[in-house]
Formats: sequence, C-alpha cells, structure tokens
Amino acid sequence: MSAARTLLVSLLLTLPGVAAAQDARLAERLDGATAASVQQTVDSARSRGLPTEPLVQKALEGGTLGASGDKIVAAVSALHGQLGRARSALGRSASESELTAAAGALRAGLPPSALSRLQSLRSGKPLVVPIAVLTDLVAEGVPPEQATRSVLDLAREGRPDDEFVALRRQIQIRRQGGTADPMNRPALRPAADPPVDR
Amino acid sequence: MPADHDDRLPDALLQRVVAELKQPVRLDPAVDHRALEEIRAESSGWHASANGHRWGVWIASAAVAAGLLVAVVFRIDQPSTAAAPAVAEVRLEDGAAKPVHLRLEAPASSKVAVVGDFNDWDPVATPLHLTEKGGVWTVELQLKPGRYHYTFLIDGRRWERDPSEPPAPGSDFGAPVSVLTVI
Amino acid sequence: MSNSVPSHEADLSTKPAVTGSPHPPLTLSQPEAEGGLLRMSDSDAALVARTLGGDLSAFAALMARYRDKFGRYAFHMLGNREDAQEALQDSFVRAYRALGACRQPERFGAWLFRILVNRCRTVRRRLQRDRQFDGDLPDDVPSNGARPDSFEWRDEIGLALDQLRPHYREAFLLRYVEGLDYAEMSEMTGAKEPALRMRVKRASDQLRELLRDVHAG
Repeated sequence: MSAARTLLVSLLLTLPGVAAAQDARLAERLDGATAASVQQTVDSARSRGLPTEPLVQKALEGGTLGASGDKIVAAVSALHGQLGRARSALGRSASESELTAAAGALRAGLPPSALSRLQSLRSGKPLVVPIAVLTDLVAEGVPPEQATRSVLDLAREGRPDDEFVALRRQIQIRRQGGTADPMNRPALRPAADPPVDR
Repeated sequence: MPADHDDRLPDALLQRVVAELKQPVRLDPAVDHRALEEIRAESSGWHASANGHRWGVWIASAAVAAGLLVAVVFRIDQPSTAAAPAVAEVRLEDGAAKPVHLRLEAPASSKVAVVGDFNDWDPVATPLHLTEKGGVWTVELQLKPGRYHYTFLIDGRRWERDPSEPPAPGSDFGAPVSVLTVI
Repeated sequence: MSNSVPSHEADLSTKPAVTGSPHPPLTLSQPEAEGGLLRMSDSDAALVARTLGGDLSAFAALMARYRDKFGRYAFHMLGNREDAQEALQDSFVRAYRALGACRQPERFGAWLFRILVNRCRTVRRRLQRDRQFDGDLPDDVPSNGARPDSFEWRDEIGLALDQLRPHYREAFLLRYVEGLDYAEMSEMTGAKEPALRMRVKRASDQLRELLRDVHAG
C-alpha cells in the first residue's frame, strides 16, 4: 500500500465514527490500512444505497487468495463502480441481488444497455436469473452479442426463468462435448436432487 | 397550418425505424380469454354496463375494483423460479436456504476445502469429504438464493476452480474462481 | 372463446379515405376480406350489435380482430409484451362495459383504440413511477454508451423509444406507425394539433440523434 494512501487512511481513522463502523471481518482478516480503505468504500456504498456485502466478500476473497493490499483495494473499488453502474442501468427499483448480478455482467464486459433492455422486456419480473444466465454464457465463451441476443429473445417472448436455465444448460453441455456428468450438474442449482434432462 | 404531408418521414433512418416498428407483434391470444373471463364474472351479477344505465354506476365501481383485482392476479400468476428480490446482501436473501452439492475429482489429494462468498472465504470452515467412490470429494451446503463466487483449496496450497460451473468474470487476484447461482 | 368464431387478422396497412366532414372519423376499422369475399355479416357494427344483444362470442370476434393490430401499438408504447397484454386486456373489458356508449359501432376499432391509448398512458405513468432512475455514477467510472456490436436493430429502437418522453413516443407511434392524421390524433388524445406536431417533430429529432451512430455503423 502506498505511503500517501497509508497516511490518508491513518488520518481518516482518527475521525470520530469512522473506525467504529468497521466490519469486524475486515479487521480480523486484513491489515489495518487495507481494512480501513475497504471500509471507506463500504461506507460510501452504503450511503448510496448500494449492496455492501459483495464488497466485503471481495475483500475477504483477496485476503484468502493472498493478494496485496493494493490489489484488494483496487478490486473492491472496481466492484463498487460496477454496482453503481448497475444501479444506473436498472434504476432504484432493482433489488440488491439484481444489482450484484448486474455488476457481474458489467464485469464480464456486457454493456449497461443490454441490462436496461432486459429489464424493460421483463416488465418487473425478477432479473437475477436472466442476468446470471447472460453472464454465464459469456463466461462459457459465447460471444457477448450472441449471448445478449439469445437472452433478450427469451425475455421478449416472455419466457419463464426455466427456459433461461435450460439455455445455459444446453450451451454448457454443448461446449463440454456432451459429456457433462449429470451428478455434477452444471446448471443453476435449485436443489441437490438429480437433474431433470431437458 | 402545414399540411400533414409536410412531416412525412424525411430521411432514410426514420423510415427504417418506422418500417421496423410496423412489423406485426403477436400477443398472446389468452388475452382475449382472460378478458372474457373477467367480463363473464362481472356479467353474471350485473347487466347494466352494456346498456349504460345510471343505476349501474355504483355497481360499476365495485366491478372495476374486482376487475382490477382479477387483472392483478392474472399478471402475477406465473410461478417464478427466480431468486426472491433481496432486501439485503446476498447472504441475507429472503428465500429459504436450499441444499447444494459441490463435488470435485481430486484422487491424488489428501485434503480439499471450499472457500467462497458463503463462508467468508475461510479456508478451514468447509472441508469436503472423500466419498466411497475413490478420488471424489463432496460437500453439501445450505445456500440461500443468490450468486456465489468460490474455489477449492487442494491440500492447503493449490487453488482449483469447479469445472462444473462457469468461471467468475475476470480474475481479480489471479486465482481460478467459479460462480454458482442458487435459485 | 367459442370455437366457431373466425379469427380475422387485421390488415395492418389499412387506412380508409378521410371523409369531408369537419371532424374526419377515425378510420381504423373496416370489414376484412377473407377468401376474396367481404363478409359484411362480420362487420364491426354487426358484431357490436350482437354483443349488445348478449352474444359474447361476437365480442370475442372483435377482440381477435384487433388484438394484434392494437397490440403492436401497446407493445411499442409500453416496451414489453406483458404490459402490452395487460393494457389490451384491460381495454377490452372497459370497451365491453361501455359498449352501449359507442355511438358509431361501424368505427368500433377507432373507439377501442382510443380506450387503449388511454390505458397505455395510465400503465406508462405507473411504470415511470416504479422505475426511478438514479443518474449518479461513481467518480472513477466513465459513463458507458457502448452497445454490443450487433445489438439487434429492434432492441436499439426499443431502447431509443424508451428514452423519449411518453407524449413524444405516443405522438410518433400514432403518426408514423399507426398512420393517423393530426385531426384524428387530436380527437384521440385531446391535445391540440400544433402541440401534436411539435411532439412528433421532437420525437423524430430525438430518435434520429439516438440512432444516428447505430444506423451509420
């Protein structure tokens, strides 16, 4: 962590109320300066009505995976930005789950316009599943344009969440050469029961 | 006042837009059926509306309220398997926790654990257990609906992604991480 | 719905000639041709009369006749299928309730369309209230207007329409997509013709601006 940042954080820590609100997990798992910097970002997110737990988890992830303080702070800051952009794309009516999922989609390189369009086509129905499927398709290597087109087509037709899940499963099985172990279900997981083939 | 023809679409772009907007849009024929059901429900006790009789006005108000209630019910009649909208963070979803099985084939390993958003990335919180089928490690988690980033820790020193789930977008810390969605 | 009711697909390009009356009638309805024959017994006026006589299958025929044609307007006005279907269903029920007040049953379609336009306004207002947008962005994140390379043209248009003020969008759709003239639009919306012309022009200008780069790409 840079000297300037350390000095700034130390000064902030002297302000009343700042240290008191710190998430105990950050203090336990990260060095003091990193924890304070992350806490500042968490507090900023909270004041803007953005989800804070994903930010804490991102910091803990970095701590467990052995990342430097600078990298942890940068990753948390980037996620904060993505959550803000998700809010801009989906508006104030979006739930925290939807914002978190949307932030992941933005991280995957999908544009806010795709999320806005998806929301418009879904007409108030929850967005977590279609956003998750869209993000996962891109993560599986489907070109973003194709993934966006497929998911928007389903949304435009008013299809239920099951069909989004089925789309993802089809893509995954196809990309694995049709050798997916049914007991190691690749699809979104509603339960631990054996999968139903579609 | 300019005649109507003065605002004919002047450019190719808007002509393209209008051509696209003029494409047929087929709505669900069930719309008709639902409207008929609503009409029948009202008509069974009241026949004034079609004839505009004044004494039906207060009945009309009650019927409008009932009709709107029916319309609302029709709108939300589709069962959803999506995660219930949260009022807090991922770990505090309103939906009930559900059993989720994780498994990993690691026949040469002596110890496997999973770390992720569901256990604060704690390397010792959630060990996997070797099944009778050699080399396969499993664990059952109770997870509420949401998206979870996670990875496996092999023998306390090596990170390995779950191959059965998509990779997390980007790699913030250089380690392989997967994402699973519980609905 | 009765199985014996024929399903008529409305001719989307229909626009009968305007008459010479001071207030030209709204001309959205006319008997459709089926198999080369005009089935005058299935005219809107006949179906309205039968409905008022208690024949619900006649009203079902009217709904089938106008569902897709008017559904198109509702879909573009409200942005998605579900809201369009809700508005249309609601409009059908309201039309049935008020059918006795339809003074020109031969122009039932235009009368129904006016009900739908008003229902769309109500639904639109509710949607605008529910989706309050927050323009704030964190300082370190640039605004992103990028589109996927091959975001479908219809989605581009949908996004652009969504950014228009409801009155502008309504005026544009009524004028250029549904083909109404300004007198008809004025009768339908209650707005004066100069205001409607302004709305159409502004909608056109804004759509042109929003879609210019996409069109050029």
